[in-house]
Amino acid sequence: MSFISRLLRKNISPARIAGFILSNFIGLAIVLGGLIFYLDARSIWDSEDSFIRSDYLVINKKVTSEHTLKGASSFSEEEFNEILNQPWVRKAAPFTAAAYRVRASLNQGGRGMSTAMFFESIPDEYVDVPKSQWSWREGSDEVPLIISKDYLTLYNFGFASAAGLPQMSEGLMSGIPLSITISDEEGNNAIRLNGRVAGYSNRLNTILVPQNFMDWSNRILKENANPSDNSNSSNNSNPSDISNPSPSPARIIIDVNSPGDVAINDFLSAHNYEVAGDKTAAAASFLLKLVVGIVLAIGGVITVLSLFILMLSVSLLMEKNRDKLHSLLMLGYPLGSVGAPYCRIVISASVGAGLLALVASALLRHAYLEPLRGLGAGTGSFWPVIILDIILTAHIILFNILAVRKKVKASWRISR
Amino acid sequence: MITTISIEHALPRVFVSEKIPASDVWQTSLTLKRAERYLIEAASGGGKSSLCAYIFGARTDYEGRILFNQTDVAGFSIEKWQEIRRRHIAYLPQELSLFPELTAWENIQLKNRLTSHVPDSRIEEWMEMIGIAARRDYPCGRMSIGQQQRVAIIRSICQPFDFILLDEPVSHLDEENNRIAARMISEEANRQGAAIVSTSVGNPLLLADPIRLSL
Repeated sequence: MSFISRLLRKNISPARIAGFILSNFIGLAIVLGGLIFYLDARSIWDSEDSFIRSDYLVINKKVTSEHTLKGASSFSEEEFNEILNQPWVRKAAPFTAAAYRVRASLNQGGRGMSTAMFFESIPDEYVDVPKSQWSWREGSDEVPLIISKDYLTLYNFGFASAAGLPQMSEGLMSGIPLSITISDEEGNNAIRLNGRVAGYSNRLNTILVPQNFMDWSNRILKENANPSDNSNSSNNSNPSDISNPSPSPARIIIDVNSPGDVAINDFLSAHNYEVAGDKTAAAASFLLKLVVGIVLAIGGVITVLSLFILMLSVSLLMEKNRDKLHSLLMLGYPLGSVGAPYCRIVISASVGAGLLALVASALLRHAYLEPLRGLGAGTGSFWPVIILDIILTAHIILFNILAVRKKVKASWRISR
Repeated sequence: MITTISIEHALPRVFVSEKIPASDVWQTSLTLKRAERYLIEAASGGGKSSLCAYIFGARTDYEGRILFNQTDVAGFSIEKWQEIRRRHIAYLPQELSLFPELTAWENIQLKNRLTSHVPDSRIEEWMEMIGIAARRDYPCGRMSIGQQQRVAIIRSICQPFDFILLDEPVSHLDEENNRIAARMISEEANRQGAAIVSTSVGNPLLLADPIRLSL
């Protein structure tokens, strides 16, 4: 050890340094543990349904026997406007239903099946799929589809086993061309198209097509069916307009501020509305974010406090050694080399605490990963945690080195 | 290289409101030149230590100006001062500023390792000459003031310098050791072509024909 280190390390309080390492370790471990848990856990709710963001809700009216008799469980213009005016609504749009018949057939090595279907659409801005995957141009005969995962389940475990057809995975299904025929109510003016499954959704119990395809197909089949009705319909082509010529919407997609808001539930149950799909996902995802947010904030506060503990202990140590610092500077030692022993303390204590916190978060993850996998979580990358650890530790070191420099400068001239 | 140190109408601020006796240094123009020998004499409290601290950049509580080669030192950065302290001005403060927990050898090496100015053998010769070789590995805190003064004298010449400021360097030495110290310092100053500025309150460093200044 150099003379300078021997001189300047005198008065070091191991207890204070240990206090810093412990508090910094606890703070960082909470922050890093919270982050890695969030990254791993969010996939339970997020990963399988990347088409619709978790703060979108799809609502419909509860179907009652009254509806069966009178028909129309759809939303009126007033009801839609009332929803739009709720404080928790960012924006909302109605589902557009196809006003025509749809038949889809699947051909699998000579054995095929055919079924009647339906289409719905929502404005493209609500669909979280890259533009290239979710677009249709007039004249193109390939239509992308997002279908409910439940339908694939129904096919695989219900229909396929009963009909002796092979079961199909999501990937395989997406690769098989789907022949689609759309025709007007009477079954005339048929148009043949190819369907391509762009994705499966847990949260949308429907078969979704791009909005512009829906507008086009609704118009063209209506025109063909009632050539005289032309002028009327073409004026009303705004997809999110409630006065769309297609029947009043039975479902509405809403972008909400915070999915866990109780006001949403109160409103929906007061109006006898239902949330479609997995209702708990949005609330659980919101709760996860909230809890992780609180945990990160607590860890952050402890980390900042530990930064001050280190600053104070180094500052106190330098204050005790102030005369020595001054004498060394009088001998001509550069500021940097006089501050170096303190910088080394700061760096080794911070890096030590940072490494311990990293190990702790890795152990925490090891402990929860098995049960979490059982809930369907994927494994996120550990890199964000390492990067955050490096950033936080670097900041603690930086602030302390700046404080050391300031203190050395203050000892340079002992003013009288 | 610093060839001149000019002190222009300088006065410690504590003296500003007082009437001070005529001085060769305060409230006048004085230029110290490289290669000369100066002996600054004054009664206790005349501001000798203050003058050394002003020239060395350790204190700034004075009126007037101090110039190195015609440049006012008031504008020097900390980094510039540190370089001056390593290469151009050596300083032996009255309070010695030795580290009591380090040995005589370590105290001297603290400076010499910074400047890499003289070989270890030279330092050992000096310690032998001035009679502290036996105390080489003694912590300075356990030495007498006279011994500490001798350690500090050796430490002060372990660097390149244009001027060496010695604040009452031999106040606790007998005449014999005073002569040895004066010879050692003069030899090193001659070798470097440097000036010696020594202060005294009655036991001056025994330099040959110094320019005497009174504060």
